Amino acid sequence: MGPLVVNEFISPDTNLFLAFLIGIGFGFVLESSGFSSSRKLAGMFYGYDTTVLKVFFTAAITALVGMLFFSLFGWVDLDLIYINPTFLHSAIVGGVIMGVGFIMGGFCPGTAFCAISIGKLDALAFIGGLFLGIVIFTEGYPLFEELYKAEFIGAPTMNEILDIPRGVFALGLILVAFGMFWVGEWAEKKFPREEY
Amino acid sequence: MKMRLILASVLIPLGIIIAAVPENTTKAYKLTAEELLVEAQEGAQFMSTDEIADALVQKDPSFRLIDVRAQDEYEKFHLPNAINIPLTDILSDEWADYLDQDVKMNIFYSNGNLKSNEAWMITRQLGFENNYVMQGGLNYWAETIMNPTAPASTSPDDEIAKYDFRKGASMALGGGSAVISNAKASTTVKPKIKKRKKKKKVAGGC
Repeated sequence: MGPLVVNEFISPDTNLFLAFLIGIGFGFVLESSGFSSSRKLAGMFYGYDTTVLKVFFTAAITALVGMLFFSLFGWVDLDLIYINPTFLHSAIVGGVIMGVGFIMGGFCPGTAFCAISIGKLDALAFIGGLFLGIVIFTEGYPLFEELYKAEFIGAPTMNEILDIPRGVFALGLILVAFGMFWVGEWAEKKFPREEY
Repeated sequence: MKMRLILASVLIPLGIIIAAVPENTTKAYKLTAEELLVEAQEGAQFMSTDEIADALVQKDPSFRLIDVRAQDEYEKFHLPNAINIPLTDILSDEWADYLDQDVKMNIFYSNGNLKSNEAWMITRQLGFENNYVMQGGLNYWAETIMNPTAPASTSPDDEIAKYDFRKGASMALGGGSAVISNAKASTTVKPKIKKRKKKKKVAGGC
């Protein structure tokens, strides 16, 4: 029966409304996990706090297992799920810029808005930079276009690239995730930082 | 620490289950039985032999005739340019691209209406569009196009025009001998190809 909007169970407007509710829930979880603290986010890179890794990978593997079970029960047609297409070069360059901005600013775009919603002023500078980046990119688009569109490889999934069943890949990712959680907690003990 | 154990004890067994079961490849049926009944009763899937003969004579590239009879029957006789998809093979992947598309009009035919209608119902149930059935099948084709009976001389003009068209088509398509009267092939109105509404994927992002 799913995805609901593709199979016309709900209208695009209802879809937007649901997205709005999910967005609020997402923001709530981000805030309550402490993601509005830039020190907590930067802690990921220094190893004293790996909450970011744990929260996001828990979300990823929960959603992964959920979608696969939904598909197994016939509740959702995975072929109709949107997968962001991959432009390899811009993904790499964008990832580097995002990573550097993440360490320097201590926020990712979503958590910056979380932080400003609880009144953190440093997030204002971050959001200002975010808009500046948007303006530079859109105004300078002709300059970046070639890089932006280079190495288009469609929307491959990891299990297709590795040529293994998606269920087996899911199990592998779950095990890797728990391995990383274990390493993360080890790192928290190894590089403790008081009062951040 | 405790949290991680709880999470692990839930997610890892679920992961093992999902790795062990085969992927669900069933496709949801697009029509309910009632909807199919309505369509079948309307008979919108039928195309007349005249329309098809006209398309064949004009070599209309948007038509594709599909013979759903067995292969030996197809080899004995088939309409010009028809391809053979025996009814038993209709679900094989080999033909999926022919049957599920929105470029050409597929016209199923068999000896009568039965097999071609079965083919249409199966493909319709799968949600494919642009599949039609030649009304009356090859038997009716032979009766109307290959060996048309001359109408009485008192028949209305359009009856005679139809006969002349059929005679002409018969000659063009290698049918029985015919003496053509002052023939002008009547142009039948071709049904429009229905553009299939493509299912758009949901766009999304972070």
